[in-house]
Amino acid sequence: MSAPEPVSPLARHLTAGRYGAPGDAPVYISERQCVLVQLFARKGRGDDVASAMQAGFDLQLPSPGNAASAGEITALWIQPDAWMLVAPRGSEGALAARIKAACGDAGSVVDQTHGRTVLHISGRRAAWVLAKLCRVDLHPSAFGPGRVAVTPVADLACVLHHSDAAPGFDLIVFSSYAVSFLESLTHAALETGYDVA
Amino acid sequence: MTQRFRTASGGRIDRNRVLRFRFDGRAYEGHPGDTLASALLANGVRLVGRSFKLHRPRGIFSAGTEEPNALAELRSGARREPNTRMTMAELYDGLEAASQNRFPSLRFDLLSLGALAAPVLSAGFYYKTFMWPASFWEKVYEPLIRRAAGLGRAAREPDPDQYETMHAHCDVLVVGAGPAGLAAARVAGAGGARVILCEQDFELGGGLLMEPEHAAWRDETVSALQSMAEVTILPRTTVFGYYDHNVLGAVERVADHVAAPLPNTPRQRYWTIRAKTVVLATGAHERLIAFPGNDRPGVMLAGAAQAYATRFGVKAGARALLFANNDAAYDSLFALQDAGVAIAGAVDPRPESAGASAARARGISVWADSEIAGTSGGTALHGAHVRRRGGAGTDTAVVADLLCVSGGINPAVHLASQSRTPLRWNEALATYVPGVPVLAQHSAGAAAGVTGIAEAAADGAKAGAAALGAAAPAIPLPTGTTADARVLPIWEVKARGKAFVDIQDDVTTDDIRLAHREGYKHIEHAKRYTTHTMGTDQGKTGGIVGAAVLAEARGERVQDVGLPTFRPFATPVTWGAIAGAHVGKHFAPTRRTALHEWHVRNGAEFMDAGQWLRPAYYPIPTDTDAWESVLREARAVRRAVGICDVSTLGKIDVQGRDAATFLDRLYTNTFSTLAVGRARYGLMLREDGIVFDDGTTSRLAEDRFFVTTTTVNAAAVMAHMEFHLQTAWPDLDVQLASVTDQWAAMSIAGPKTRDTIARIVDGIDLSNGAFPFMAVGDGTVQGRPVRVFRISFSGEMAYEIATPSGYAEQVWNAVLAAGREFGITPYGVEALGLLRIEKGHVAGSELNGQTTAADLGLARMLKKRGDFIGRTLAQRAGLTDTGRPTLVGLRAARRDEKLRAGAHLVEPGSTTSHGWITSVTRAVEIEGWIGLAMLRGGAQRIGTRMHATFPLKGEVVEVEIVSPYFVDPENQRVRA
Repeated sequence: MSAPEPVSPLARHLTAGRYGAPGDAPVYISERQCVLVQLFARKGRGDDVASAMQAGFDLQLPSPGNAASAGEITALWIQPDAWMLVAPRGSEGALAARIKAACGDAGSVVDQTHGRTVLHISGRRAAWVLAKLCRVDLHPSAFGPGRVAVTPVADLACVLHHSDAAPGFDLIVFSSYAVSFLESLTHAALETGYDVA
Repeated sequence: MTQRFRTASGGRIDRNRVLRFRFDGRAYEGHPGDTLASALLANGVRLVGRSFKLHRPRGIFSAGTEEPNALAELRSGARREPNTRMTMAELYDGLEAASQNRFPSLRFDLLSLGALAAPVLSAGFYYKTFMWPASFWEKVYEPLIRRAAGLGRAAREPDPDQYETMHAHCDVLVVGAGPAGLAAARVAGAGGARVILCEQDFELGGGLLMEPEHAAWRDETVSALQSMAEVTILPRTTVFGYYDHNVLGAVERVADHVAAPLPNTPRQRYWTIRAKTVVLATGAHERLIAFPGNDRPGVMLAGAAQAYATRFGVKAGARALLFANNDAAYDSLFALQDAGVAIAGAVDPRPESAGASAARARGISVWADSEIAGTSGGTALHGAHVRRRGGAGTDTAVVADLLCVSGGINPAVHLASQSRTPLRWNEALATYVPGVPVLAQHSAGAAAGVTGIAEAAADGAKAGAAALGAAAPAIPLPTGTTADARVLPIWEVKARGKAFVDIQDDVTTDDIRLAHREGYKHIEHAKRYTTHTMGTDQGKTGGIVGAAVLAEARGERVQDVGLPTFRPFATPVTWGAIAGAHVGKHFAPTRRTALHEWHVRNGAEFMDAGQWLRPAYYPIPTDTDAWESVLREARAVRRAVGICDVSTLGKIDVQGRDAATFLDRLYTNTFSTLAVGRARYGLMLREDGIVFDDGTTSRLAEDRFFVTTTTVNAAAVMAHMEFHLQTAWPDLDVQLASVTDQWAAMSIAGPKTRDTIARIVDGIDLSNGAFPFMAVGDGTVQGRPVRVFRISFSGEMAYEIATPSGYAEQVWNAVLAAGREFGITPYGVEALGLLRIEKGHVAGSELNGQTTAADLGLARMLKKRGDFIGRTLAQRAGLTDTGRPTLVGLRAARRDEKLRAGAHLVEPGSTTSHGWITSVTRAVEIEGWIGLAMLRGGAQRIGTRMHATFPLKGEVVEVEIVSPYFVDPENQRVRA
C-alpha cells in the first residue's frame, strides 16, 4: 500500500488561475504543504531543549519575534519557551518523533501538521493586501525577512512569518478556519488581483 | 440651464468639460473640480434644505466639512446615502441628489407651518410636552417627532458596494494638506521619515486653493511630496478620531466621486493609523455671528463665498454685503469684488479698522460701529437691516442677496482635544487653541491659531522638523503679506427674531438662555438640553458662540465656561465604512470540520454551533420531514450502528511533569489515579462553584493527557487553563496545546459498532476484555494513524475514532464501507441530542451557568479530598440548598402531545413555577415526547404528574415526572 496522502481543507478551494483586478502587480497565493511540530521547553529546561535542538538538528532556536532555519527545518518563535517547527512533508509523525527523541523529558512535542494550514502570499503588494487584515507593521524597517508575529489576521489567530525577501509571507492558521481565512485573504486581494499557482 | 453665476475665468474647475447632474429631479450642469454645492450655486440654486426642527428654509452656508444646512440624499436605490454634505460631495457626471426633510416639496413645506408655533418649540420642548402617558413615548410621540425632524432616509436595500479596512503605520502622520500640513509633510519626508498625509478634500492645498498667487508653491510642494517613496498621500481622507497611543481613525472615500465603484474597488476604506508623531494641520472654521435671521439662504461664511469665487469660479450672489469683526474677512469681500460681484457694503462693529479703510479705498461703503439686526426675504435673502452698534438710531435697509459673515475663526481643535490636549484661550482671536499636548503631537498653522499662508507654512515646517526629531532639511516656503485676523469679540446681536448659534439643530440664543434659566448652567448640560453642537457639523461654526451666550447669562467670561468635550467622530462616518468587509456571511469567520465537504456532498442540513458549521441531520428522499430524518438516524444507532462527526469537541494536549496535578486541581474529580490507556469523565467548576464544562480526558502517558471539552466551551476552557497556569500556579510544569484541529473525530455508536470497526482497525484488540469501556488505544485504519476511545454519549456501545484531520474522510469512508452490511447511518447533531436526552446526559441546556454538580445529579463527581477550582464557593448556602431545582426526566402524558423547552412546571391549577424544561425531543426508545427539566424537589416528585405550561403560546401539557435515564439505567449497553 502506498503512503496515504492527507487531504488539505483547501483542496477544493484553491483553483489555479488569475482573479480580481487585472494589473501588473498581482499577489500570488498558494498553499504550502508542510510538517508542523509545536515544541515547548518544559519548566526550567529551555537550555536543555536549545542544546538538544542544536545537537540533533544543528538548529539554533530563535529569540522572540524571529525565525531560524537549519537545513529543511525552520523554527518560528510563537510564545515564551515554545516554537513552531516547519519542514517539508515527510512520513506521518516522523519529525515529531525525532524531535521528541532529541529533547526527551526536557521538551513537550505536539504534531500540528493537520491542525494548521499554511498559506503563502507573495508579490510586490503582498504587504498592502495583508495591511487590510493585520495590525502588524510590515514595512521593511519594522519587520522584514526572518521576522515572525503571532497576531490576528482576518480576525483569526495566525502565525505570520516573513519567509522570503520577494516579499513573501507564510500565514499559519487553524485548519478549521482555513477556508474562511482564504475567503478573507482573496477578498482583500481583489484590488491588486491575485494569482493562484 | 446655463450656469449664470459662473465666472468667465479663474478657479480650479475645468470649463471645457461639462458634468450633468440632477437635484430634486431637475437637470443641471457643472464642471470637474466642482462640489455639488458649488455647482448648485453656479446654477443659482439657493434653497437646498429645510431645517431640522423648525423646517426653516436653508441655503449653502459654508464650503467645507462644517456645513450645517446643505445636506442631501446622494444617489438612489440601494446606493442612496442620506445627510451627505453638498459642500464635500465631489461632482461627477450623472450625480443624483435630493433635498431632505421637506414635505411635500422644498419650496412649499407644510411642516414649516410649525414655525408659526415656534415660540413653544423651545429648548426642552419635547421633554416637557411629551411626558404623559409614559407608554405613548415609544409608540406615538417618538415616531411623530422623528418624522417631523427627520434627517435623510437611509437605503432599505443591502449596500451593493465593498468596504475595506486598512492598518497603517508611520513616523509622522500629517492631518490636513493646507500650507502648514504640506510644509510639515515635506520637511518630515525630506528628512527621511515615513509620512502619511491625509486631506479630506479631493485636492491638496486647503486655504491655498483659494489663493491663486500661491498656486506655484503648492504645485511644487505637492510634486516634491509625490516623488518621496516613503510619503503616502491620501486625498479624500478624513481623520475623524484620535485615540490613545497615537492611534487615529480615518475614512478614505475611494469611490464616492464616481457613480459606482470600479470592479474590485471598495467605495470607502477605513484606516487605522498608528503614528509615532502626529502633526495636526487641520486648519480653522470661520465663526458665525448670532443675529436674527442669520440662517436665511444667502447668508454665508465670508471665507466660503471667497472659496466659491476664487476656487470654483462661482459668484455665490449678485450683490454682497459683509458683516465682520476682523480685517481678514475684508479680503473675502475684495475677492468677490474682483470676481465681478456687486458689493453692497461692509458692516463692522468696530469703530474703525484697517479693513474698513481698505474697503473705502476700493469704493466700498462701510457702516462702522454697526451691526446687522435682521435679514429680509423668504426662501432667499433680499436684504439686511443695519443699525448702530447696540441699537441706537434707526435701521438702514440694505439690499443684498449674499450676506458674508465672519465672526473670526475657530481653529479645528477637535482631534487635539480628543487626544486630551488641553485647550488654551487665545485672546487676540477670542478662541481656543491647543495647549501642551499629552501625546507626541504638534498642532500647526490655523489649527494652532497661526493665520496667513506664509505664517502657517512656516509653522508647519517647524512642526515637521519637531516631528522629525533630527536635523531638518530646509524647504522652500511661500511669502506674502497676511491680513490681520484679530477680532473684536462680538458673538450676538440682540434684536427681535431668531438668532441661531447652532443652525443645523435650530438652537437659538434664547434657547441657550432658557437652558440657563431652567438650571442647565454647565456647558455640558446646556448642550444636552438644547442639542447645541449635537448635529452632523458638531457645532464647528457656532459652538463657541453658544458658549459665549451661556457665559453672558452666567455673568462669566467665555473662557471660564469652556466648550463641551470633543469626541469621535469629528465628522460623520458611514456605517458601511465601519462594518468594512464584515457583512452577510462574512460577519464572523466560519469553522468547518475536515469532513465538511463530505457532509455537503451527502446533503446535510447544517446548523451553527458557535462558529462551527455542523450537520444537523442528513435528509434522504423518502424522509417527509426533518423529524423523520432525525428519528431514522437515532433508531439506526439504537438498533444497529451510526456514525457522527464529533470533530468540533475541544481537544487540548496537556503535557509536563505536573500535568496530573494540574488536572486534579482543575477538575472536581481525580486524574492522577487514571491509568495510562484509560479515559475518565471529568467535571469542571467555575471559581464561583457553578458547573463550567465537562468532557472525557484520556491519559496517553505518565506526563501526557488528552483533554476534551464541549464544542462551545473549547476556547474558554483553554483560556481558563492558561490563566491558572500563568497566575495561580506558575510553579507547575505544564504545557498546553490546542489540538482541536489536528484531530478529526467520529463517534461510531450502536450494538453493531464493534463488528463494524473491528474489520478496519489494525493494531488494537477491540474485544471487550482487552478494550473495555473507557479504554484508549492507538492503531491504524488502512495505514492511517487512529486513536480509538471507548466512550459513549448515546448510551449505546460506542467508540470514538480520532485521526489526523487530513485523513478524516478516508477513515470515515472506511468505517462506512465496513458498516454497510449493518446499515450504518450517518447521524447529525439533532439525533445526537435525541440520544443524549434519552440517556439523561447533560449538555449546554443544563450546563447553563446556573447549575451546580448536585443540581445535575453529579454530586458524586466532587472528590472528598484535595482542593479544586470552585470547591470553596460551591459550599455556599445558596448552592447547597436542598430546595434547589434538580435534574429530572419528563414524559408527555399523552403520547401525541409535544413538549417545549422553556416551559414551566406547575401543579395543575396553579401558576407557581417549580422548575422549567431544559431539553426536549421525540424519543425512539419509547413512544412520544420526552424531556429533561430542572425541578424543585425533583427526586420526591418522580412518579407524579405536573403541568408544563408555556404561556407565550398558550400551551399546557400534562407530563409525568420520571428518572432522567430513559435508556439502560444500569449502563450495561456501553460495556457490552
